[in-house]
Amino acid sequence: MNKLPVNCPSCEASLAVSQLMCSSCKTTISGSYSLPILLQLSPEQQSFIFDFILSSGSLKKMALQMGKSYPTVRNKLDDIIQQIQQLKK
Amino acid sequence: MKTLFINPFEKYREIHLLSIGGIATLLGTVIAYLLKGRFDGVLDFHLVDDVSITQAIIDTSVNIICLVTFLFIVSKYINIKTRLIDIISVVIIARIPLYFIPLLTIDNRLKNATDELLQLVNPEKITSLHSEIPTEALVIVMLFAILSLFILSWSIVLLYNGYKTATNALGVKAISLFILALLISEICSKIVLFLI
Repeated sequence: MNKLPVNCPSCEASLAVSQLMCSSCKTTISGSYSLPILLQLSPEQQSFIFDFILSSGSLKKMALQMGKSYPTVRNKLDDIIQQIQQLKK
Repeated sequence: MKTLFINPFEKYREIHLLSIGGIATLLGTVIAYLLKGRFDGVLDFHLVDDVSITQAIIDTSVNIICLVTFLFIVSKYINIKTRLIDIISVVIIARIPLYFIPLLTIDNRLKNATDELLQLVNPEKITSLHSEIPTEALVIVMLFAILSLFILSWSIVLLYNGYKTATNALGVKAISLFILALLISEICSKIVLFLI
């Protein structure tokens, strides 16, 4: 599946959803929907959050799985938190 | 390889860093004692006529405690989530390169070269205005100075990278506080070791 673009390739502003389609009956819905905050994060950050949930929120476990030190993993989480706070504004 | 020598704190767990740092600290203290050198300040190393093992242990302990204390204070100020264990790991690992400095003096060549050069500036022993500068001694002292400077820079780079990883700190403020912590640690360790 193609990567979901979240920013406009022309002006880099956040993109909005204007059309949704049922993959079964092909019904389409048009409108203007903003992308959920989680989808506005980079694929790497989304994958990090996914792993974080799967490891029951244990940064120590994640650090072991990723082969990184605890502070490095915690810093990555802090950066994501900061970005989410910016996106929420 | 670059990670290992420049920023091991990014990858390696604190238990590994503490173990290696602890062993290196012990070895460094013994080396300083055996080669009659003193780490009489966070960023200092001097050759002395004699040093006891107790003094060598005190020197190392004071340097580590001063650096950990002031670096931890600024780290907590920058990021409240900073852990003491990470700062301890950073300090003891960053000091490893410094323990190579006594090894550069292993065969007394530096001491002899320094004595030779010091005689040249001793007013009582100057016999002619055109005393010849011993080239070999000069080269040895300069080589030692360059190597020491390289080792010191490596140690500071390790310390800064570790501090950056432990605090997630970026920007001018973080760098300024790091320099401040380093300078205060140096002054404090010098005073404490002078008073002991």
